[in-house]
Amino acid sequence: MLRSASKSLWLLLFSVVLTCGIYPLVLWGVGQTFFPFQANGSILKGPGGKPVGSALIAQPFTLDEYFWPRPSAASYDATAGTSSALSVSNYALRNRAATMIGPVATYSAGPKKGQPVWPDINAWFDADRFEGKPGIVAQWADAHNELAQGWVTADPSHASYVDGWSKAHPDIVAQFVKENPGTPRPQASDLAVVFFEHFSKDHPGTFPCSVTEPGAGGKPVTTIAPAADCADIRADFFDMWRQDHPDAPLAEIPGDYVTASASGLDPDITLDNAEFQLNRVANAWAKDLKRNPVEIKSQIQAMLQSRTVSPGGGLFGGPIINVLEMNLALRNRYGAPP
Amino acid sequence: MWTLPILLIVVTILISIPLSSYFASVMDGRLKGPRVIAWCQSRLDSGPQNWKQYAVAMLIFTGALFTYGYLVLCLQPIAPLNPLGRGILAPSTIFNTVISFMTNTNLQHYSGDQSLSNFSQIFFILPNMFLSASVGFCALTAIIRCFRGEPTVGNFFVDMWRVVVFIYLPAALIAGVVFIWQGMPMTFASQHSVATLQAGAMGLDSHGQAVPQHIIVGPVAATIPIKMLGTNGGGFYGMNSAHPLENPTAISNFETTFLMMIFPFTLVLMYGRMLRRVRHSVVIYGVMLAMMIGVIWWAINFDTLRPNPAFTGTPVAHAYHVADANAPGGSLAFTVPKVASLPVDQALGNLEGKELRFGTSAGAVFAAITTDVTCGAVNAEHDSLNPIASISPLVGMWLNCIFGGKGVGMINFLIFLIVGVFLAGQMVGRTPEYLGRKVGAREMKLAMVALLVHPLLILGPSGVFAATPWGTEAVANPGPHGFSEIVYQFSSSSANNGSAMDGLGTTYGLNNNPSPAPEAVPWDIATGLVMLFSRYLPILAPMAMAFYLGRKKPAPASLATMRDDTWTFGFLILGTILVIGALLFLPVAALGPLAEQFGPIPFGG
Repeated sequence: MLRSASKSLWLLLFSVVLTCGIYPLVLWGVGQTFFPFQANGSILKGPGGKPVGSALIAQPFTLDEYFWPRPSAASYDATAGTSSALSVSNYALRNRAATMIGPVATYSAGPKKGQPVWPDINAWFDADRFEGKPGIVAQWADAHNELAQGWVTADPSHASYVDGWSKAHPDIVAQFVKENPGTPRPQASDLAVVFFEHFSKDHPGTFPCSVTEPGAGGKPVTTIAPAADCADIRADFFDMWRQDHPDAPLAEIPGDYVTASASGLDPDITLDNAEFQLNRVANAWAKDLKRNPVEIKSQIQAMLQSRTVSPGGGLFGGPIINVLEMNLALRNRYGAPP
Repeated sequence: MWTLPILLIVVTILISIPLSSYFASVMDGRLKGPRVIAWCQSRLDSGPQNWKQYAVAMLIFTGALFTYGYLVLCLQPIAPLNPLGRGILAPSTIFNTVISFMTNTNLQHYSGDQSLSNFSQIFFILPNMFLSASVGFCALTAIIRCFRGEPTVGNFFVDMWRVVVFIYLPAALIAGVVFIWQGMPMTFASQHSVATLQAGAMGLDSHGQAVPQHIIVGPVAATIPIKMLGTNGGGFYGMNSAHPLENPTAISNFETTFLMMIFPFTLVLMYGRMLRRVRHSVVIYGVMLAMMIGVIWWAINFDTLRPNPAFTGTPVAHAYHVADANAPGGSLAFTVPKVASLPVDQALGNLEGKELRFGTSAGAVFAAITTDVTCGAVNAEHDSLNPIASISPLVGMWLNCIFGGKGVGMINFLIFLIVGVFLAGQMVGRTPEYLGRKVGAREMKLAMVALLVHPLLILGPSGVFAATPWGTEAVANPGPHGFSEIVYQFSSSSANNGSAMDGLGTTYGLNNNPSPAPEAVPWDIATGLVMLFSRYLPILAPMAMAFYLGRKKPAPASLATMRDDTWTFGFLILGTILVIGALLFLPVAALGPLAEQFGPIPFGG
């Protein structure tokens, strides 16, 4: 027993010296000597020579001038990479894809081939009938309570809009408390579904959209107001529009445009995805630089082609593009977007 | 698509053949090495041990490792190499983590990049990974020596030292250099902060300044080789081998997958070589390989070759009627409503939770292999696999002998072998034999103990957690998938695998975390205990069984002896494994993944 205990401590001691001391130090020496770029995180230098990111880590891009990476469940936070962990049967997964598709969906056939779908979503939303029944927004909130609550908590301005509404309608709040004795002092998010039900009745064909206007002192002020057209409608109601139009021929969006990676930090997109975004990127640069969009497009197309790589030289997978490196090349070629 | 798994299997087979004879010579002590290593070995040698002394030494050493691990994790706040000022982990998480790494499970109820300092990564993770992987290796060696009929089974401490020094360390050094070349960080710094190319894309702070992107780095290339070689599987980063700095390219992914396969493959052949029954081990190898090819095919076929059903919708509504005596009319009706498809191009299969740089089928291949060899690293999100494809990793954990972990996979297979020859013996009315020795009642009892621990420790706690808020409050996905998450977590704990469906809320994090997962503490404790029991009982019982079997006199082979080196024998064992496995686990598979796949998608609002 005692002998085994002392031998255990010796084994532990030798192992710690070997595996915590010698072994990592050897690798550290080799890495810092022969592969200093990789061993320090593959940090790229941006314009002005400052570190701009890691070639291996996705970072967010929202400007039209840049290619956008895949959606990130981690919000591109490289201290806390994470997946969405959404199962196939979780509506949140379908909803994320639908809200990303709505604003960019186009028809693939018929008289409107190539045209965007969103004007039709707006027209359908104005008519305010889903599956033959009136009140799209009320039906949306009833079917997806969590999305309605999510809208309220997404932004402080949303919550204060609902608070303002509930102060103006004490009778509805009282009725809610009577039906839900478990929540005697309902918060804005508790009232989300009730709020949308009444909103739908009071403002048919509209949604509480953010409107940003220059306020006093020139500082932009964001307020919420019922509106018949805003980005939220195209995004949030695309799935319901689709249920009403299941056979409308739509162009397929590249899978990686709407799916989140496991790390939330996938630095690449597929070549298909890049080409899908190409028109938006080229038009934005052409507008900024006041140049011919066709010419810019062919330049960027050539840049994409030269930067395409395939996993394992094509043995394991199809062509992909590193988003940060591509955007850095765009930035170096055309300057900073305004 | 198929190139990746084919290449992986072929390369692993080709390398495992010569490597197995090297392993045999290391374990038989024919390799001496430099003077300093021999000196250390002489310090460790406490003389020849019988199986009981060997097992006691193993348990005492485990106790020492447990204490050491606990101390290191508790020291994190005051230890060096902690520039980000990480505090102490929650007590229940320390308990869980210490057991998890000591038992070679590497279930992680914390996120390495968010909760551990580089001190803990080096002084806790590294020695645990080397040593826990060696324990199973040594246990198998002891069993082999029992079967050889040797009166003593060697010395535990000497065996451990040989495995670490002659097998793991050189392999890890070579693998680490390749990983660094591919882009894995190897630094003692903790974090880089960079100004994003699109200024302010990470948001603005309270002063209106653009928030930089912070990138966690560290001695990643030291952890990952042994994480894979030792089939440990505990990632430096929370997202494990999916994280771009933990698995930068398709080549590093190939290497990662290869490293977790190579030693389990090799050990089967080492078993044959050390027993001088190479043909017998080739049959075992073939059975394991057939099962592995099966689960890889299953995963690719249902995940890479099929779209994610979340987007495809349900073209036609289905109605099901289920007999129910209490319902009016004697049957209950369930409807799977019609759902329109979304216009998503899914030619590359289910891309949710997959990384693009590894290649098309890499996520599915990895998911299948990581549970076969009880590694538990992941390079894709198992929660987001197509439900029917997720049966593949589950089966790997349930059978737990498709090559299996270092040594213990072979030991688990041994149990099925004993049961298989017993069944065959019953069928022809002869006393069952293994390696020429008669299998008696005592050996069968020990084999059954080892066999039944695993399903009991999966199904029992899964039932308890599925029925209480411990489970229902922790699952992040609706309906049957929530059940799958619970079953997966306990399967992973009991198989000492360590992979997880990450939606399950089991992370407490640092002790001062203001908003931990609500049910993190019961999960920490329950899975901690499951890992402990399911690690040591299935090692100790087979060791005892091997001892009792080994001391019997081998009967000379006669015409009536069932030969154990034929393909007939292989089919017999394969059938035994599949029948026992299906009897034990088919019901939970039906309640979880199958119900999700064939039920309504989406499930609820």
